[in-house]
Amino acid sequence: MSGSLARSLREYRNHRAGVVGLAALLLFVALAVGAPLFVTARDLSAVYAPGAPRQPPSSHFLLGTDAYGRSMLAVTLWGARISLAVGLLATMMSVGIGSLTGIVAGHFRGWVSTLLMRVTDWFLVLPTLVLAAALASVMHRGIVTVIIAIGLTAWPGTARLVRAQTLTLEARPYVERAKALGAGDWHVMRRHVLPNLTPLILAQTTLSVSAAILMEATLAFLGLSDPTKVSWGTTLQLAQQVGAVSAGDWWILLPPGLAIVAVALAFTLCGRALEATLNPRLEGKG
Amino acid sequence: MEGTGHIAEGRPTSRLPALAIALLLAAFLLAPAPFGKPAAAAPKKVLTVATNGSVDSLSPFLAQRVLPTEVHRLVYDFLTNYDPKDDHAVPAMATSWSPSPDKLTWTYAIRSGMKWSDGVPVTARDIAWTYNLMMTNKDAATANGNFVANFKSVTAPDDSTLVVVLGKPQATMLALDIPVAPQHVWESHVSDIGTFSNDATFPIVGDGPFILSAYRKDQYIQLDANPGYWRGRPKFDQLIFKHYANQDAEVQALKKGEVDFAGDLTPAQFNSLKGAANITLNNGDGKRFYALAINPGATTTNGKPFGDGNPALKDPLVRQAIMEAIDKPALVNKTLGGFGVVGQGYIPPIFSTYTWSPPATETVGSDPAKASQLLDQAGYRKGPDGRRTTPDGKPFTLRLYGETQRAEDAQNATFVKEWLDAIGINVSASIVDQATVGDNETAGNYDLAFDSWLVNPDPDFVLSIQTCGARPATAGGSFPGDNFVCDSTYDQLYAAQISEYDAAARAGLIKRMEAQLFTDRYVNVLYYPNTLEAYRNDVIGSMQMQPQPNGIYDGQDGYWSWWSATPGAAASSSSHVGAWAVVAGVAVVAVVLAAVVLLVVRRRSTAQERE
Amino acid sequence: MSAAQLAELRHTFALDKPVVVQFGDYLLRLAHGDLGVSFQYRTPVLRLILEHLGATVYLVGTATLLAAALGLWLGARTAWRRGGAADRANTAIALTLWSVPTFWLGLILIVVFAVGVGPIPGLFPTGGISAPGVTGIFPVVADRLAHLVLPCLTLVAVLYAQYLLIMRSSLLDEMGEDYLTTARAKGLRDTEVLRRHAVPNALLPTVTLVFLQLGTVVSGAVLVEAVFSWPGLGSLFYQALTVPDLPLLQGLFLFFSASVIVMNLLAELLCPLLDPRVRTG
Repeated sequence: MSGSLARSLREYRNHRAGVVGLAALLLFVALAVGAPLFVTARDLSAVYAPGAPRQPPSSHFLLGTDAYGRSMLAVTLWGARISLAVGLLATMMSVGIGSLTGIVAGHFRGWVSTLLMRVTDWFLVLPTLVLAAALASVMHRGIVTVIIAIGLTAWPGTARLVRAQTLTLEARPYVERAKALGAGDWHVMRRHVLPNLTPLILAQTTLSVSAAILMEATLAFLGLSDPTKVSWGTTLQLAQQVGAVSAGDWWILLPPGLAIVAVALAFTLCGRALEATLNPRLEGKG
Repeated sequence: MEGTGHIAEGRPTSRLPALAIALLLAAFLLAPAPFGKPAAAAPKKVLTVATNGSVDSLSPFLAQRVLPTEVHRLVYDFLTNYDPKDDHAVPAMATSWSPSPDKLTWTYAIRSGMKWSDGVPVTARDIAWTYNLMMTNKDAATANGNFVANFKSVTAPDDSTLVVVLGKPQATMLALDIPVAPQHVWESHVSDIGTFSNDATFPIVGDGPFILSAYRKDQYIQLDANPGYWRGRPKFDQLIFKHYANQDAEVQALKKGEVDFAGDLTPAQFNSLKGAANITLNNGDGKRFYALAINPGATTTNGKPFGDGNPALKDPLVRQAIMEAIDKPALVNKTLGGFGVVGQGYIPPIFSTYTWSPPATETVGSDPAKASQLLDQAGYRKGPDGRRTTPDGKPFTLRLYGETQRAEDAQNATFVKEWLDAIGINVSASIVDQATVGDNETAGNYDLAFDSWLVNPDPDFVLSIQTCGARPATAGGSFPGDNFVCDSTYDQLYAAQISEYDAAARAGLIKRMEAQLFTDRYVNVLYYPNTLEAYRNDVIGSMQMQPQPNGIYDGQDGYWSWWSATPGAAASSSSHVGAWAVVAGVAVVAVVLAAVVLLVVRRRSTAQERE
Repeated sequence: MSAAQLAELRHTFALDKPVVVQFGDYLLRLAHGDLGVSFQYRTPVLRLILEHLGATVYLVGTATLLAAALGLWLGARTAWRRGGAADRANTAIALTLWSVPTFWLGLILIVVFAVGVGPIPGLFPTGGISAPGVTGIFPVVADRLAHLVLPCLTLVAVLYAQYLLIMRSSLLDEMGEDYLTTARAKGLRDTEVLRRHAVPNALLPTVTLVFLQLGTVVSGAVLVEAVFSWPGLGSLFYQALTVPDLPLLQGLFLFFSASVIVMNLLAELLCPLLDPRVRTG
């Protein structure tokens, strides 16, 4: 297992886009984690905002100021924390649900599998945003709700992939042998199937995060998040509400938007590189 | 599957684009389009107003939202109107009026010679019929029933006299904002008055300065000038309210000349239009107050408490401390960008007759030190972590509610949270949709909430919502009030002002009510936002403002602005679509069609080769 | 609208009853083809949906068709010239556009192409589906198209990437097949092989996926319509969200889901037309 992982890592290095994506990702995560080092509570305070509202970039405020007079640089840096956290937590939830459904549906046959796959198909075709927005609008407003709304709607893709892979794995001789030797369902799933699914799940996670980050921004824009928390989505929503778009305050619109694009792209590049590493047949596709 | 089977036939594929195009063409035709409208003979002078309001109904009996009520002011006449200079009541359908000595009977002389747009004369009987319908039919009372709630009878002894008999004296008899509907048209709709939305056949029969001639939901409302209007025909031939989903789009449409007027601008938008070509800006006084409501502990009309409002808020010292911690001028400067007036009395200063300000000694706010001292005095001690605890030792936390749709709530919540945090009160702020706020308020489950009301020239309604009687009859039931306030002094003054027919004396009573509300500190006005508007001075030459000199154009308590607007040099019926856009649009279609044709032709040819 | 009026309205529409009771009522009425009444517009939900349907089909249909055409064409090209500069550039652009939040792209396009920035004049209308008061067939058509350009462009930009990527990978799969080698060995030119053999076969999984992705299209439409004031179902959904107007939300949700499912069924019916393998097999 560890040997194949090392081989995968070596192969991953051959994907230039993937390496760039990974580097960008590490940079973003480092900035988000290290944000408290550069940004103080006072920088994010509305009352003690250091500048006048909506000032264009200057030597003092490199990216200008937002509607409260806070530095856009500080706000964008800090926004990475919630956007990334929501993206990662929501993805963990959706990939968790998806993997569990996939493994169970792939391992068991008969009505369990049929039922699970019908439910999965049902969720797969539903318009994700409509479902997530409807969910978020009827639940208590806040960051947790956004995570749950994304997590509950984004899992069916993972479930299908994991089920397909589980079916392949269970057909392998050593799994068949283990079953013949009387290994229980739990044992087979945990000892034989799950470890071999890890790379696939990892790739799927990476790909899902970008969708989750986009969804977080979208839900915030629709007013379904908590506007008193600083994230990229709420920053854009605030910008729109105070009329920054028609005022042409590009320094408020561009940083959070470009940050979303950059992070989503970085996750996608990593995910595709991982996928290609794991599935050599797709070699040369990304 | 054989090898040759891999080679697909081309022809079936070629049907797909053709099918799709046929479907799209069908959709293009089905999508609401102004096809078939006769071309105008002479160039029309059109005034286009941007709006992001929605229409709940076009029925004058049902419409409650701002946009349709404004339209009804333009297409139906009212008993009285408000003077454009200072908002005092002026004649409209009624030319004169007089109350009886016992204050219970009002007799109005109704103007003669008015006509509905279908030629039928307008008489006192139309007014009596409209009012009677609202008094007897619950559905018809949906929008304006509160005006006739105290009416005992309404009769029209002849075509030019209207007599209203009241249950109790009512000082608002010259402020009956009820659109009068034509009896001969609406009689047939009495049976479905609760659902008939008055948008079936156009033009809609009316008697206002404009006639409602076309409407498309979420697109536009089109009004034509009424040539026979008794006060004079509007100078523009057509008035269009064009719908935009957001304010930014409105501002951009104004800059480009797609619309001629945009109201309700944010400070950022207003500033961005400074110096723009052909744009005149108006920074008018606002008709709205914006307040912080403090839950006094919800009770029913018989005094039964309910809800879970924090009991600490019953302590006047705590309420005062909260208001001392809040810096109202900072909110005006930051949230409103300076476009507003710091809150004092309950009635906004635009209504100068009723405006009240506290004596200088009583002004509170921007004093965190005093706030802390008040809290200490009240027994809310600061712990080692800087957080205060209630006298019985529990953490002191307050919930603050605001609405997502009101842009200023999120900003103000951030400020208030920080200020209260600084004096040791923990605040959890929730900015949620209107319905959730409404649910929590109705249930009495809140501590602090942002609260904003539009005030009419006659302030009776906003005063009534703070009386004991405006509380719900049952716990958690719907109620006509605002914040469960119940103060006997205030209620006595309220009863006195409604039966006071002397305007100056009534204003005096109302100011005393404002003073009482201010001292109670349950409804604390933070500011009055200015109304920020902009219009194209190349299309609109001039318009009447209401009131003058610092009033507004859009959302007036009359029809003065649109009725009086004179066309400017560039006013015409041009569709505002730039030639570039037309060229680009045609080019796009040409490219798409070419691509599709190419695709189809290539498919066909390959298919033939194969066969 | 005050809290009290809202509470009154919600009472009128029985929205203050327990959710389970409401849901039961809803199912019962649904069985009779009644989607309920929007408490924001006081209009039957079904009527509202039908009124707004045309605008959405017009926008989403045009955008999907363009995005699919563009995506499939570019996808085929990039797959054929795999690894080349054009492939890398196209894939990079597609992936970047795919990572762009739809509403943000719409806002930026409005700022740049509707308002105008620097030397760029404001070319297109900022929103809406048509200008009121335009008469005559040609001006009406031109006006319609001018209003369509920006919202359609936004949707195409965020949609075409996935079609490109799907087409690219299906074609790459197809190109590994033996029959292509055979076709080449027969002496057919490369472009002929691509056009006549590989593309038609790669189209099947692609078209199926295009239909499967319709849910994404609907989501994109909600945002594009909200940003561009397009009077379709997406705007209606956005309006319903802000209140929230639950009967309308439920009705739209049901409608969106049903239409996506119907589209998927349609895809299954279309498959045999596209691929004789399915027809015979």
